[in-house]
Amino acid sequence: MADEGLVSHKRDPLKSSVGNVAAHRRRQHAVTIGKERREAVVRTKRLCRVGISEDSDVSIDNDMVLDEEQSILEAQTSSAVKELKASVAYQGKGVMQRRVSAIRELRCLLSRSEFPPVEAALKAGAVPLLVQCLSFGSPDEQLLEAAWCLTNIAAGKPEETKTLLPALPLLIAHLGEKSSLPVAEQCAWALGNVAGEGEELRNVLLSQGALVPLARMMLPNKGSTVRTAAWALSNLIKGPDPRAATELIRIDGVLDAIARHLRKADEELATEVAWVVVYLSALSNTATSILVKSDVLQLLVERLATSNSLQLLIPVLRSLGNLVAGDTQTSNVLVPGHEITDNAIAALIKCLKSEHRVLKKEAAWVLSNIAAGSIEHKKLIYTSEAVPLLLRLLSTAPFDIRKEAAYALGNFCVAPTEGAGKPTLILEHLVSLVGRGCLPGFIDLVRSADTEAARLGLQFMEMVLRAMPNGEGPKLVEREDGIDAMERFQFHENEDLRNMANGLVDKYFGEDYGLDE
Amino acid sequence: MAMEVTQILLNAQAVDATVRNHAEENLKQFQEQNLPSFLLSLSGELGDDDKPVESRKLAGLILKNALDAKEQHRKFELVQRWLSLDSPVKSQIKTCLLKTLSSPVYDARSTASQVIAKIAGIELPHKQWPELIGSLLSNVHQLPAHTRQATLETLGYMCEEVSADVVDQDQVNKILTAVIQGMNSSEGNSDVRLAATRALYNALGFAQANFTNDMERDYIMRVVCEATLSSEEKIRQAAFECLVSISSTYYDKLAPYIHDIFNITAKAVREDEEPVALQAIEFWSSICDEEIDILEEYGGDFSGDSDIPCFYFIKQALPVLVPMLLETLLKQEEDQDQDEGAWNIAMAGGTCLGLVARTVGDDIVPLVMPFIEENIAKPDWRQREAATYAFGSILEGPSPDKLIPLVNVALNFMLSALMNDPNTHVKDTTAWTLGRMFEFLHGSTLETSIITQENCQQIITVLLHSMKDVPNVAEKACGALYFLAQGYEDVGPSSSPLTPFFQDIVQALLTLTHRDDAGESRLCTAAYETLNEAVRCSTEDTAPMVMQLVPLIMMELHQTLETQKLSSDEREKKNELQGLLCGCLQVIIQKLGSSEPTKYVFMQYADQMMGLFLRVFASRSATAHEEAMLAIGALAYAAGPDFAKYMPEFYKYLEMGLQNFEDYQVCAITVGVVGDICRAMEDKMLPYCDGIMTQLLKDLSSNQLHRSVKPPIFSCFGDIALAIGENFEKYLMYAMPMLQSAAELSAHTSAADDDMIEYTNLLRNGILEAYSGIFQGFKSSPKTQILMPYAPHVLQFLDSLYMEKDMDDVVSKTAIGVIGDLADTLGSNAGPLIQQSVSSKDFLSECLSSHDHLTKESAEWAKLAINRAISF
Repeated sequence: MADEGLVSHKRDPLKSSVGNVAAHRRRQHAVTIGKERREAVVRTKRLCRVGISEDSDVSIDNDMVLDEEQSILEAQTSSAVKELKASVAYQGKGVMQRRVSAIRELRCLLSRSEFPPVEAALKAGAVPLLVQCLSFGSPDEQLLEAAWCLTNIAAGKPEETKTLLPALPLLIAHLGEKSSLPVAEQCAWALGNVAGEGEELRNVLLSQGALVPLARMMLPNKGSTVRTAAWALSNLIKGPDPRAATELIRIDGVLDAIARHLRKADEELATEVAWVVVYLSALSNTATSILVKSDVLQLLVERLATSNSLQLLIPVLRSLGNLVAGDTQTSNVLVPGHEITDNAIAALIKCLKSEHRVLKKEAAWVLSNIAAGSIEHKKLIYTSEAVPLLLRLLSTAPFDIRKEAAYALGNFCVAPTEGAGKPTLILEHLVSLVGRGCLPGFIDLVRSADTEAARLGLQFMEMVLRAMPNGEGPKLVEREDGIDAMERFQFHENEDLRNMANGLVDKYFGEDYGLDE
Repeated sequence: MAMEVTQILLNAQAVDATVRNHAEENLKQFQEQNLPSFLLSLSGELGDDDKPVESRKLAGLILKNALDAKEQHRKFELVQRWLSLDSPVKSQIKTCLLKTLSSPVYDARSTASQVIAKIAGIELPHKQWPELIGSLLSNVHQLPAHTRQATLETLGYMCEEVSADVVDQDQVNKILTAVIQGMNSSEGNSDVRLAATRALYNALGFAQANFTNDMERDYIMRVVCEATLSSEEKIRQAAFECLVSISSTYYDKLAPYIHDIFNITAKAVREDEEPVALQAIEFWSSICDEEIDILEEYGGDFSGDSDIPCFYFIKQALPVLVPMLLETLLKQEEDQDQDEGAWNIAMAGGTCLGLVARTVGDDIVPLVMPFIEENIAKPDWRQREAATYAFGSILEGPSPDKLIPLVNVALNFMLSALMNDPNTHVKDTTAWTLGRMFEFLHGSTLETSIITQENCQQIITVLLHSMKDVPNVAEKACGALYFLAQGYEDVGPSSSPLTPFFQDIVQALLTLTHRDDAGESRLCTAAYETLNEAVRCSTEDTAPMVMQLVPLIMMELHQTLETQKLSSDEREKKNELQGLLCGCLQVIIQKLGSSEPTKYVFMQYADQMMGLFLRVFASRSATAHEEAMLAIGALAYAAGPDFAKYMPEFYKYLEMGLQNFEDYQVCAITVGVVGDICRAMEDKMLPYCDGIMTQLLKDLSSNQLHRSVKPPIFSCFGDIALAIGENFEKYLMYAMPMLQSAAELSAHTSAADDDMIEYTNLLRNGILEAYSGIFQGFKSSPKTQILMPYAPHVLQFLDSLYMEKDMDDVVSKTAIGVIGDLADTLGSNAGPLIQQSVSSKDFLSECLSSHDHLTKESAEWAKLAINRAISF
């Protein structure tokens, strides 16, 4: 065996045969060709334009927009802008007609392709001309087409959206009551796109007074105008500055309109309105306290119970969670024993059972907010079907859902704090939850890289160590490898967590641990 | 519990096959009926000094094979099986093995060492057998020499089996102390010293901490260097192997020793036996590897962040290192060119010289040129060959500016040497050197080429002439022609400087494949691959000649399918040839299929060609299958929807390929071909999709299939969805959960291991391509909304990829495309979801400002799609 003990290292000689290398390269090449062709197929599919516009007058064009067509499109656009310029300068007979058809031509070009020739239009100087076309007293048709062009330009790249700055005052002006509905809606649309671009443009719009007229547009009972306005508003109040949200809720009739739409409107409109509520409740404390006192909470619960539209359910759940979290006295609204509370919990349970990850997560979050309330709240949910569902989520769901479920479960075990000091426990809940096997789920959180989740896990472990009857806590924790999980924090960069974990290990698993066995 | 197995073990080695088979059958039964007793009996046999050595060795070997296997899943089973045995049985076996280490019989000891190491490899990671190292090392000094030797051998094997992180530093220190003491010159027994030196080779990976401690490192290095001077050749060789390993593992710790190491290696290279000298050269090759890596990292990234600084050892040693290596070139063996596995000091020296050139670039040229000039025209062939080899070796590394003037002077000389030198070795190396010149100094990326209109004809004449030379020279001439052709790959579509010679080149290569001595497989492979390259780089004006090749090559393939009753050796050669011919047809199909007029003419051969390919599947050779599959993939692409007519017959082979777990490359290539066929047939693919999807899903759930095949399978889902559109609906409920769980697994790269990160990115890319394909496949179908439930997860996956910040460029590009596809297909229904995702904002804006053109393009498209989804 001595002579075959080690096989000496031998490298490939520099001088080698071409055959093997070449064969390998050839096969690699064949594989690369396959990849390139796949990319080409996907690219072609992407460029394949499908009519998605609801407007029948936009020609639906199923051809592929190839590069050449794109450059043709760009050339057409510059000449359309040129024609528009000429028509704006023209003062003779039939000027209105000529101008409208020039803008319409441009609007069609800007709506036609997957890659609207926005850049070409801007380069040709479209914006100042369109602003001119928006001047007061212009015929509705012209206003509509001009606002439409601007809407499409605003949907472009950020720097393209910014080119709308000179047009904003006029677009806002045309939101007023004197404008026809289609014109106002088209302007709201353009403004919504602008507001969606970012904080800077939102602030410009707010300082130019876009909020009030948009809010008024939301007041009527139905119609696409209301929906568009609600959508634009939700973009406009996105913050992070809360002032717009606060201002909006104080505008006369807004609260009433929100409630009305949530009560009666179709799901599409309700969805947009719910998004408005999301931002109101997320950003503004004033808005939150006004909303919880209104019917809105009740209406949200009803929508949650009755709708199956994911688009609607997401903003509704989020609004609900914001309201419950933001209100210091949730108990004022969701009083245990009242029908609304039972309905809310039933609806949330429905969401926990749903297939959708987002719904599960948001529902667990809302429940954890409710569970943070009074002892009665805790007892109420605790006896519901929510607990087994949350327990299952804690052990099987993806991380973010698990974390929300853990918050809810943790909240069940802690009584509301009165004064300083460690929170009092609800031992009955703790013992029963541990008995139903929730400890490994929390210990798992301790191991996660997310410090918030780790802290939550540690806090729960602390309760188990401290409070489980018969000093059973340490044994339970040890059995589930909790010590190992805590020891990972021994040199953790987060001082707080490090102290917490080390403190627990020292206190419960110090020198004396296990001696009595 | 143990049973008498001696006779069975002896019978199992009997010459008489009946006796042998019977004994093997007995052993198998015994193992199946009572594994613990079987293993105990084997260990007892191995440990019993009264038994014959043959039965003891076999007992140990069977024991070893019961603990480890090459195949990953088999190995896992064996590990689990051992772990689940009763502890008393295991400890009885282990005690017996440890006792065997003191046996006077060398073979028994050595076999026991290996078995102990295998058990340690299983148990130590599970924190079992903690006393092993202690019990091996207790009293090691008082033991008789043969037991010390066995103990050290065991430590060596153990270090090879277990990874460094399962052994405490304290135990590492003990192991190293024992090993180093065993290597020390004060150790009188040379068997013990040899075992210790070999053990150190394996233990070096454990010595990270010890190498950061100056004193310990100095001591280890001193002992290793001393061992290179031992009077025993094997010890010297093992000591140099340690140095090689140190050079790559502890490059950054070498500076204080490099001067001494140079002296030691130089002496060994010049004076020592070949096995020792080879390792001494390998030390410098290995230093080159390290420095090339470090310098590449410096160059690749302006931040200059390499974890390890470059110490420029090679640059510093250059004036003495290069002469030393040049000397080795003169020590050629007479017949090294005929022997494929040959490896000697001259070859190692030249290989090292090539690495040195890549490490230092221009600086090597003035040090080598005098040697070339002095020797290139000498009467002794060794001098001429060495000079030529030196020239060929340094052609990669130095700048073209430095090399081109020299090559321009040398080219004519080389060409005439290839024609006229009386010595075959010289001609072989000359042809290879010409190939290196064309590889590195000819092509569209260079400003000036060494090849001009004037010398092109002469070069080709000489190369074609050399193809009639002895096989090894002819093969090297093919190599030169290969790189000559490759240099013209970007010459344009219509005409190439090679056009006037194309017919002659093809003719010469075909003749070469028919030479009687072309059975020498290297020659035949080189000829076909050179032909392939010439075809691949050919231009429109030679298309008719390529077309003439089609029936010719098909005829060749046909003939291989007709021959019958072959010996296994002949069959292997035949399969190899089938692979080459299919490969050649694949290149031709690709070439002729890429332009309409030639494709039209070429397609008249398609039926026959497909028939031939299908017959190739009757052979059992994996390589032939791979090549036939690739050729069919190319044919499918050229045929387009018409390929459907071949599907009824081809389908079963496709399925067979997808089931081939054992030759996973065949499986991988077949998966790729499914993609080709999807693109060719589009919705005509539908009837075959049930079967294909079933098979692909099975492949994904198998733990036997090599993991590298899984990413292409996901991409293939995308190909299928693109081809059959909304008909993919029925597979969603199977494919989506698979994608989803793979996505969750791949969202985080927990391991810092580069291979793992690379694999994870491949997996991500496959998953994302599947999503793109599925979304785009459903686009404009009335059923788009059935994808809606999957959208949250897809967006979540994209968000978590973005958060992880470890995507490579390819994944980024695919990922940003997916969000566009999602928005494009689902439209405003997905608007609110999209608005909530980080990917649609931060990730998108990052991609919009990407430097990668393709990523930027995808991002711009995605932005449009997203805007439309959220604003309408």
